[in-house]
Amino acid sequence: MTKRKMFLRMVTSSLLRRRSRMLIALLSIAIGATILAGLVTIYVDVPRQMGAQFRSYGANMLLLPGEEGELNREKLNEALAEIPGDSLVGAAPYRYVRLDMTTRQQSFTAAATDFTQIVKTSPYFSVEGAYPSETRQVLVGKEIAETIGVHNGSTMELTYQPTVVSDGKTPEESRVAGATLSGKAEGFSGGMVYVTAVLDDAAKIASLTVDASTQTPEYGGQIPEAEAYLNQFIGKSLPLAGGDVDTFTGATVTSDAVVAALNQATAISSPAQPRTLNFTVTGILTTGGEEEGYIFMSLEDMELMTGTDHLDVAELSVSASAEQLEEYTAAITEKTGVRARLVKRVARSEAAVLEKLTALVFLVTLVVLLLTLICVSTTMMAVVSERRREIGLRKALGASDGSIRAEFLGEGLFLGLLGGILGAILGFIFAQVVSVNVFGSSITFQPLLVPAAVLVSMIIAAASCLLPIKRAVAIDPAIVLKGE
Amino acid sequence: MSLLELKNVSKIYGELKALDNVSLHVDQGEWVAIMGPSGSGKSTMMNIIGCMDKPTTGEVLLDGVDISKESSKHLTDIRRDKIGLIFQQFHMVNYLTAVENVMVSQYYHSMPDENEALEALGRVGLRERAKHLPSQLSGGEQQRVCVARALINHPELILADEPTGNLDEANENIVLDLFAQLHKEGTTLIVVTHDPEVAEAAQRTIVLEHGRIAREVINENFGK
Repeated sequence: MTKRKMFLRMVTSSLLRRRSRMLIALLSIAIGATILAGLVTIYVDVPRQMGAQFRSYGANMLLLPGEEGELNREKLNEALAEIPGDSLVGAAPYRYVRLDMTTRQQSFTAAATDFTQIVKTSPYFSVEGAYPSETRQVLVGKEIAETIGVHNGSTMELTYQPTVVSDGKTPEESRVAGATLSGKAEGFSGGMVYVTAVLDDAAKIASLTVDASTQTPEYGGQIPEAEAYLNQFIGKSLPLAGGDVDTFTGATVTSDAVVAALNQATAISSPAQPRTLNFTVTGILTTGGEEEGYIFMSLEDMELMTGTDHLDVAELSVSASAEQLEEYTAAITEKTGVRARLVKRVARSEAAVLEKLTALVFLVTLVVLLLTLICVSTTMMAVVSERRREIGLRKALGASDGSIRAEFLGEGLFLGLLGGILGAILGFIFAQVVSVNVFGSSITFQPLLVPAAVLVSMIIAAASCLLPIKRAVAIDPAIVLKGE
Repeated sequence: MSLLELKNVSKIYGELKALDNVSLHVDQGEWVAIMGPSGSGKSTMMNIIGCMDKPTTGEVLLDGVDISKESSKHLTDIRRDKIGLIFQQFHMVNYLTAVENVMVSQYYHSMPDENEALEALGRVGLRERAKHLPSQLSGGEQQRVCVARALINHPELILADEPTGNLDEANENIVLDLFAQLHKEGTTLIVVTHDPEVAEAAQRTIVLEHGRIAREVINENFGK
């Protein structure tokens, strides 16, 4: 038998055959290692855990229409492709439109969205009833529900009054029934004269306003208030011919400018058929925020009413670190032209909470390690005084101080090894329990943690033995001779 | 040939003279008993001979080396190489088996050898009890294991401190027979005791009183 074998036999026998005392030391190391392994596991998993947790506080990224080009569903999908699928918790598109409630002669803001996504991006929404699951169903904000007195199952008629912006139309194309026209022309000494005219059902002038603030106040400048002059335009068709209207006395140039402006005027809006749909209320929304003043409907219904799939904003909930979020926003803005920005308030508080949590875990780990050190050290101290005779005997038999040191250190390391393995296993269970109870999700096993826990346990155990070993070495071998 | 020589050895603890100018000569192969009442200086003498303490004054020559001036690290080496110790309280490592206890001595001395250790246990009649823990052995058996442990490294001197103090007569006789065998093989034995029967087994008895050698008795019946 080699010396090393005998050494191992002595060290392991000491631990395995003298159970009670060593069990306490083993237990304290195992508990220390358990807490350590558990906390480190949680620590490693915390960003993921907390990320998911934070996501319940709402969206942390917004997508807005870019400088050129608008945001629609196609663009949104293009932008979402820049974010890895497993990081994207949800993406809720929104479109806000004023709708009239025909029966009450009131208008409200309607928000069109995707209800399956709202659940993910705004988990704090509280719905009495249910989210709409089909078209022609709406979710009504509590504030509106109280104002107009609707409840689940009520029906409501909503009308979209289109305002078609007509750009690029020629003056001729613009002169249609119901259109509002505006135009300008150069008046006296280079000053501009502006006119706005509304056409009646027969495409004749129904009303006219003139802005002549650049003209001489005593002459042309009087025109906007000159009723008799302006009234001659009512009922006339455009374009005006030479003798259709009289000039304003003393302001021939300005008068000519008014006529010229009207003849060049183009539509700023032209009428379209209002569209009305009948909706059923499926739920009343309580959020404590401005959402209570909206009526929520599906994007499909909104498209049907307005004829476009334009989106005003998309709220994204992305589970990622601050750096990754920055990367995603940059990539989206650059590649798709959609303007992506972070909701700084949410992103910052996430970072702050994570930082504090990290510090806390670190501190607790440190305290636990320190306590383990003290506990094991105390136990080993007791072990040394309990084994004074044995140590004296070993010295009497010729053990050098080095051998005594090696034996106790060996026992300490062996304890650390057992405690570390035990702790790594228990620590994973501990982390799992904490994770399930606190975060409500299970964690992944970190294989590297086992050697790490064992190593730390062995270091702690060895450090705990330093003082007891010093005691052991100081024991006088002569104690074995005194026949006490 | 002289193995151990004490020359004018004194050990003083403050006012107390535990040993007072003691001179003693032990030859190679001799079997000497040291007797005396409690407080006579037996233990102090034993500690000094066993290289576990140093005299205040005087010289101690063990196998020609003056151990009174050595460092304690050196004393450990000398004790390990030259001396086999047997104690009144047996002193076994309680979590090691009989054979492992013998091997501990080999471990510190040179190289553990289980067969040799088993052979030594066989010599003290405990071959079949080799795998027992001390708690499973009687007092007499434990002391026999200690004898086996003391002789395993073939020491020049076996130093026994009240080896039979805790034994019944049957076991005392077994131990004394073992000593006689060792003596025959040429091992030097110094046995500290206050049992006259044990002292009578030796060739010569030194009687200590108040730190001095009061008298020396030669056992004329030795070997008969």
